[in-house]
Amino acid sequence: MSAPSVLLVTRHAPYGASLARSALDAALAAAAFDRPPTLLFLGDGVLQLLPGQDASGIGTRSHRRVLDSLPLYGIDTLYVDSQALAGHDLTAADLPPGARPVDDAAIRALLAGHDHILGF
Amino acid sequence: MNYALLVLASPFSGTGSLTAARFAEAALGRGHHIARVFFLDQGVGAGMATAVSPQGEADPVARWADLAARHDLELVLCVSSALKRGLLDDTEAARYEREAHTVHPAFEIGGLGLLVEATAQADRVVTFGGSA
Amino acid sequence: MVLHTVNCPPSHPALGQCLRLLAPGDALLLLGDGVYAALAGSRAAAELAASGAALHVLDVDARAAGVLERLADGVSVCDDEGFVALTERYPRQQAWY
Repeated sequence: MSAPSVLLVTRHAPYGASLARSALDAALAAAAFDRPPTLLFLGDGVLQLLPGQDASGIGTRSHRRVLDSLPLYGIDTLYVDSQALAGHDLTAADLPPGARPVDDAAIRALLAGHDHILGF
Repeated sequence: MNYALLVLASPFSGTGSLTAARFAEAALGRGHHIARVFFLDQGVGAGMATAVSPQGEADPVARWADLAARHDLELVLCVSSALKRGLLDDTEAARYEREAHTVHPAFEIGGLGLLVEATAQADRVVTFGGSA
Repeated sequence: MVLHTVNCPPSHPALGQCLRLLAPGDALLLLGDGVYAALAGSRAAAELAASGAALHVLDVDARAAGVLERLADGVSVCDDEGFVALTERYPRQQAWY
């Protein structure tokens, strides 16, 4: 039996709550165990992708910098809610390499197409 | 079927943690197996041995502990979420030179690898979130 | 087929995200503050009804909130066992909160 596929959905901005960071930690842990999940940034979760983050003034690591390290862990594709991107006036040029904006139909297919979903 | 539960909801606000405990009980009652309950982020409060609930109100820590005792359930608190919230077992209290251990003995502290493993082995994964 | 669990109040953006991403054949279970979306006559209840998803509400939360008394048509009440049964029938779950 092959290992089940896992979709990790992250829906919160990076610094207002610890959930975005917890989601990222879970993704990195899974990748470290050779089970890289599919990552989907939904709603305010797309704000995690903003370039130019400098979190030194609030005593934490830059979320975007951690996201930029994901390819090193075998997570190459980041699926991003295109409607939320538009709502925040973000464009593909703002996103890390490997980011793939997806419309609602594609998001539905991601939700239905994985064995498990972890909803952060 | 084999279930893994991920509890992100704080036991101290809202109903998410209590709902998860009731879900676990109902799943076991329907003949399912629960491989592991993994508490992450604010969810780790469920293992806080020193929490005192107001009289007459639900005690989520006791609820989880009772469930674990009756069904031999594995309850794991994410180590990084737990440490930064002051949740320490004997080992961690000694390691970080803190004066008290605060994790209820029904719970253990473990890494996210245990969530990964439970997810990989489960037929069903159910997430319990709270108000973030 | 996805089971969507919603435990945020109707004004929370997560409910809107859930509604736009519901697929035919999905089910929706309202719990916690999510139960207010099942208030008969409310805008949220109308949007839920229009989604075509199978609609459920968790009994203890709906009773606590006073929603059982004015439950929108087409929403079925389920207990903890019913919640488990939904996860048996729908192989994956997305939690909105």
